[in-house]
Amino acid sequence: MILRDVTLQNFRNVAEARLVFEGRRHFFVGANGQGKTNLLEALGYLTALRSFRTAENRLLVREGQPEAAAAYTFEHERFGRTRVTLRIGSRGNRTVHWDDERVSRLGDIIGRFPTVVFSADDIQLVRGAPGLRRRWMDLLFSAVDSAYFQVLQQYHRGLTARNALLRERAGAAELSAFEREMAGPASRLGKAREAGLRELNVSLEKAYRHLGGEDAAALLELRKPGSAAQAPEEWIERWCEGRDRDRQAGATQAGPHRDDLHFGLEGRSLARYGSEGQQRSFVIALRLAQADYVRAGTGLLPPLLLDDVTAELDGGRRERFWALVAGEAQVFATGVMRPELGDDAWRFCRVAGGTFAWESRIASGECGIRTAQ
Amino acid sequence: MGSAFEDLQAVLKKLPGLGYRSAERLALHLLVERPERLNALVEALRRAAEDIRRCRLCGGMAEEELCPVCSDSHRDASVVCVVEQVVDLMALERSSAYRGLYHVLHGKLSPISGVGPEDLNLASLGERLRSGDVRELVLALPNDVEGEATCHYITENIAGEGVAVSRIGFGLPSGGGVFYADPVTLKSALDSRRSYS
Ligand SMILES: [Zn+2]
Repeated sequence: MILRDVTLQNFRNVAEARLVFEGRRHFFVGANGQGKTNLLEALGYLTALRSFRTAENRLLVREGQPEAAAAYTFEHERFGRTRVTLRIGSRGNRTVHWDDERVSRLGDIIGRFPTVVFSADDIQLVRGAPGLRRRWMDLLFSAVDSAYFQVLQQYHRGLTARNALLRERAGAAELSAFEREMAGPASRLGKAREAGLRELNVSLEKAYRHLGGEDAAALLELRKPGSAAQAPEEWIERWCEGRDRDRQAGATQAGPHRDDLHFGLEGRSLARYGSEGQQRSFVIALRLAQADYVRAGTGLLPPLLLDDVTAELDGGRRERFWALVAGEAQVFATGVMRPELGDDAWRFCRVAGGTFAWESRIASGECGIRTAQ
Repeated sequence: MGSAFEDLQAVLKKLPGLGYRSAERLALHLLVERPERLNALVEALRRAAEDIRRCRLCGGMAEEELCPVCSDSHRDASVVCVVEQVVDLMALERSSAYRGLYHVLHGKLSPISGVGPEDLNLASLGERLRSGDVRELVLALPNDVEGEATCHYITENIAGEGVAVSRIGFGLPSGGGVFYADPVTLKSALDSRRSYS
């Protein structure tokens, strides 16, 4: 998938901008708060129909304006040249038009225009709570496989019902009825997660060796703190045994909703023993593996959105990073300073106060700045 | 207690499908715009309230003690189809695909909305099964989590030995129920019912 152009209107601090993307690699330079990340936020919005920074859509509307809009033109593997227009109202309400037709079920868009965002906050995937890692995994697997999303929803509906039963001290017969309904989805989720992680691990390990510059095995493993159950009958048994404890806790203590992802490097915990550089390299490798996974699962090559990711990397890793992303995928990167990129396929764009100005390809020092309109 | 108008509006608002605005429109229509319609409505409601009741056997809609289905001696009394609502029964009747009897639960297990087994028409289903006439139970409940859990509950706690339990739901719109399916879909769903345990 290649993004040909984007037009933004009242999106965050951007009053109006039209950006045409020639070539594959684009670098946006500017001080913080000028609008670099806002642009990436707009470019990544269609991926899961949400911002990677906030769940509050109304925050995307420029202050005092009734709505924000973004129009995208894609060169798409499946749909050819196609145009999507997104509008977000000041109360967070959204409408999407796809090739001039209103999309009635917004969920239908999800997974069709994938991007992969790399952000300095990704380090939280290593250091933060299990819920963050689980959410990352669920979003990724759902975007590639809608059946995964359905099973996940089914499981959570059952779980919500069971938790309500636990709190109102319902009898065994009712608990059992809902446990049986959760068991199939729980088992399928477990299998799907194991299979997905196996596939991710192949790319992850390779990307980490390239980027980290060390011959160390990076590995994602599923950890199930509540139970090692797999088959539906095992889950039924596990929940049946746990009813008393679950009643006391007021919630189901075991199940896929408690799964965690363990990030390992050479068999040791990355969170506990990894250096800063190792942790940052690991999450970048994880994003690269995510891009591979999306491509293999959907046949779509996701553009990479790199939000100031190299600032915290040392020189060697930084150099290897730019070499790694210089592949087939379209790349949109931001930074406070113009980096040494070592190849001239990059175009640079200056960002200030919500406006964008491409630098011409004429050698620097010339007055080659064109203002984007 | 508010004014008579407010009271009426509040009662109307509790009816399914009516929100505040539509309840208000309805009340104004009957009382102010077309008051001549009011008497006919009151009379129809009064007669219906006297004549229409729950069928003693299946919980469906009846004007006698038994509904037309339960009192029809040509129906196969050894098969009972369990549905969530009366509208589901009506949809199955329209499809003419089914010749057995029904049992209407008037809901499904829903812990989130506080609906438990005692809120459903389950006790009388147990009695029917214990009477010994029923050989087969066809569960035609929605194929969402709550409908499925209700099926488990019935299979494990209501249906005893000697009753074959089967489930329709295959081919029905996911998360939906009998009411939303067209007759052709209903017929194929009934034909392909699978045994359930
Ligand atoms: Zn009846």
